[in-house]
Amino acid sequence: MLKTIVIRVALGLLTLWAVSILIFGATEILPGDVASAVLGQGATPETLAVFRHELGLDRPSYVRYLEWFFNALHGDLGIAMTNKRVIVETIAPRLTNTLFLAGYAALIAVPTSVVLGIVAAINEGKFIDRFVNIISLMTISVPEFFIAYVLILYLAVQFEVFPSLSTVFPEMDFSEKIYTAALPAFTLTMLVMAHMLRMTRTSVLSIMSQPYIEMAFLKGLTRSQVIVRHALPNAAAPIISVIALNLAYLIVGVVVIEVVFVYPGIGQFMVDGVAKRDLPVVQACGLIFAGAFVGLNTVADVLAIMVNPRLRHPR
Amino acid sequence: MEEYNKLKHMFDKGALSRRDFMSGVAMIGAGMAVAPTLLSGTAQAATPKVGGNFIIGMEGGSATDSLDPRTYSDSVMIGASLAVYNCMVEFDSNGNPTGELLESWEAKPGAKEWIFNVRKGVKFSNGKTLDADDIIYSIGIHTGETKSPAKGILKQITEIKKINANQIQMTLEGGNADFPVILGDYHLIVVPNGFTDWQKPIGTGGYTLEKFEPGVGLKFKRRGDYWKAGRANFETVEIRNIQDVAARTAALQSGQVHAVNRLDPRTVNLLMKDKKLNVVRTKGTGNRFCFVSRVTDAPFDNKDLRTALKYGIDRQKIIDQVYSGFATPGNDHTLDAGNPFYNTELPQRKYDPDKAAFHFKKAGLGNAKIELQASEGAWGSAVDCAQLYQESLKKAGINLDVKKVSADGYWDNVWLKVPFCAVYWGRRLSADQTFSQVYSSASDWNDSNWKRPEFDKLITEARAELDQKKRKEMYWKAQEMISDDGGMICFAITDYLDGYAKNVMGNEPHARYDLNDERLAEKAWFA
Repeated sequence: MLKTIVIRVALGLLTLWAVSILIFGATEILPGDVASAVLGQGATPETLAVFRHELGLDRPSYVRYLEWFFNALHGDLGIAMTNKRVIVETIAPRLTNTLFLAGYAALIAVPTSVVLGIVAAINEGKFIDRFVNIISLMTISVPEFFIAYVLILYLAVQFEVFPSLSTVFPEMDFSEKIYTAALPAFTLTMLVMAHMLRMTRTSVLSIMSQPYIEMAFLKGLTRSQVIVRHALPNAAAPIISVIALNLAYLIVGVVVIEVVFVYPGIGQFMVDGVAKRDLPVVQACGLIFAGAFVGLNTVADVLAIMVNPRLRHPR
Repeated sequence: MEEYNKLKHMFDKGALSRRDFMSGVAMIGAGMAVAPTLLSGTAQAATPKVGGNFIIGMEGGSATDSLDPRTYSDSVMIGASLAVYNCMVEFDSNGNPTGELLESWEAKPGAKEWIFNVRKGVKFSNGKTLDADDIIYSIGIHTGETKSPAKGILKQITEIKKINANQIQMTLEGGNADFPVILGDYHLIVVPNGFTDWQKPIGTGGYTLEKFEPGVGLKFKRRGDYWKAGRANFETVEIRNIQDVAARTAALQSGQVHAVNRLDPRTVNLLMKDKKLNVVRTKGTGNRFCFVSRVTDAPFDNKDLRTALKYGIDRQKIIDQVYSGFATPGNDHTLDAGNPFYNTELPQRKYDPDKAAFHFKKAGLGNAKIELQASEGAWGSAVDCAQLYQESLKKAGINLDVKKVSADGYWDNVWLKVPFCAVYWGRRLSADQTFSQVYSSASDWNDSNWKRPEFDKLITEARAELDQKKRKEMYWKAQEMISDDGGMICFAITDYLDGYAKNVMGNEPHARYDLNDERLAEKAWFA
């Protein structure tokens, strides 16, 4: 088992390295460059040349890749081309905010959806099963901004329960942050719940047709005992990977939510970077996103190996 | 009186500017003497009051913003900059230049040599007193080896000479009667001589910077010793970046911000019904939306085709459908009606499919297809406008092929390169700047490639003419030439729509930009 895990982690690191090349390559082939994006419609060839030279954009790309890669290994992501700020310093609070929101939403969404999924499986075909299925499907079927605007309309504008502007600041205390970020967290919860809930329900139910489950019933256990004791541990692997995927989505895929709620996360930061062709910023964000994705998936795989009785005791 | 009530109603709802209201009232004969008292609820009624934390929600900022004036390009940084710094020249609500840090000026005949008087007794936030050297340094950062967008407009200065601590002489390469207007450019803010640390700004403005998180917001604190009496009235001011228009509107409605810019024209009529809010509309000084053809490329080298394309666009329909009526029809040149030199007698070109068909036939192109490239990269609704254009041209028997191209790199790869494409132009400082940047032979941005020596001569002469009446005649002629012969179909100029909480005062429309010429932080106050 240890060997499987080590291989899995090594593969994760290799993926990350490959992704770093892809990120660099992709930012290289974006049409236009930072100079023309920053100067905009008002650029003249002369000012463009001055600016490009100032930024070192006139050097070959492999030199810039190697320089960037080794600096990144040392935790130095460079300086933003547009406003000359140190990227690590500007990205850190943004990343903290993103992780805070993702964690907030996950803490509500993961337990709720796993429990509801199990409840639905226990009551397969009954009212409660149909009800949670329909509600979760409804929330995943509408665009994310729609849920966001509906929540804003009712909970912020009509009844001023929560603020519509969820801008959190570092100097806010924890409870204040929880209150401010409530609406985006609720929205995200609704978005990711359906996926996890349905996966839990389906994998539990698919285990239910196995012979050993029938055995458990025959020895006289109740339906809920069978599901929690016998079905769930064997159904855990797909559930864990779906949770990991959704956690990764909460970190990297919430630009729209950030924009609607004016939440200062890393998504909007990257979009601004792309719009202004600020390559170091885009690359830094890309690397962090890739890291989150690869990292969470590796953790999910390792966990899946560890919880699965058959993988834990290979014959 | 019914007409008067209608005007008053429109004014109260913000659908009418103060100026429009006044002239409307004058036209229907209601006494001007009663009007000001009736307006007192919304406009400059009381004397400004000090205090409060004022929060502005704005679009037009980015995580890449900085307080270096050479990087300004959008509203958030312009608004922020005007809170901590001052410009050289300011503009009154009719758009005429008035003294700011350059208190007054005088031109020698020929408008080539200018004497500027630096305002006395103004202190920077670090205690230093403003003098001529600070002004000279602040101009200098935009010249030479720099990427400043203001570099182009300052190129005409050949010499800057300090006469004494409070007087500067500037010599230009050619006469320019509008030179003070040029010095009112928002990039030209004043910092102390030798200043370089843009993360810790030092200015002469009404506030000092407390906090700046690019893409999130800024916070300012009142200085208290501001040299402009009655300005900078808030204890603290916050600017929040809110890119999404629905989020901005919701924040205003729920009272989390006190002012927002760029309301959505489609929902603004609903907002006007909200009793807690004021909507302020600045008419027709916003972006000029155009389809521009290169007159040197076939088939647009044919003047009849260009004329056909100008008659074949249904301006009003585009304005009504795409901008919900909150725009002003363009007259195929980019000067707006707020400019003192706007040609009011040049007939507004209207949709006329018959005339379009006539000129198209005369152009002798058979039933050739005309290709127009448009993209959301040009402006958000460019493709919608192009499609309505296609529809209106069809009625004149002209086939327009709308090609939607990528928003990415639009200004690099499409604009100035393809024969017929969408472009928007912003407001320029002066009539001269409008004409010389967009239509003169020497300009890098002459996107219609329309080069006429007689036009160049006309605007060069007008530039140095200190007799306002003569200049006006020249500029009227220039507009006529562009509108008749040019390659640009300028069909709409947008209105600015700001939203305010009811208790925000000092927010009247300005002849130039929204949010009271972007100076809301220093001009507004709480009732």
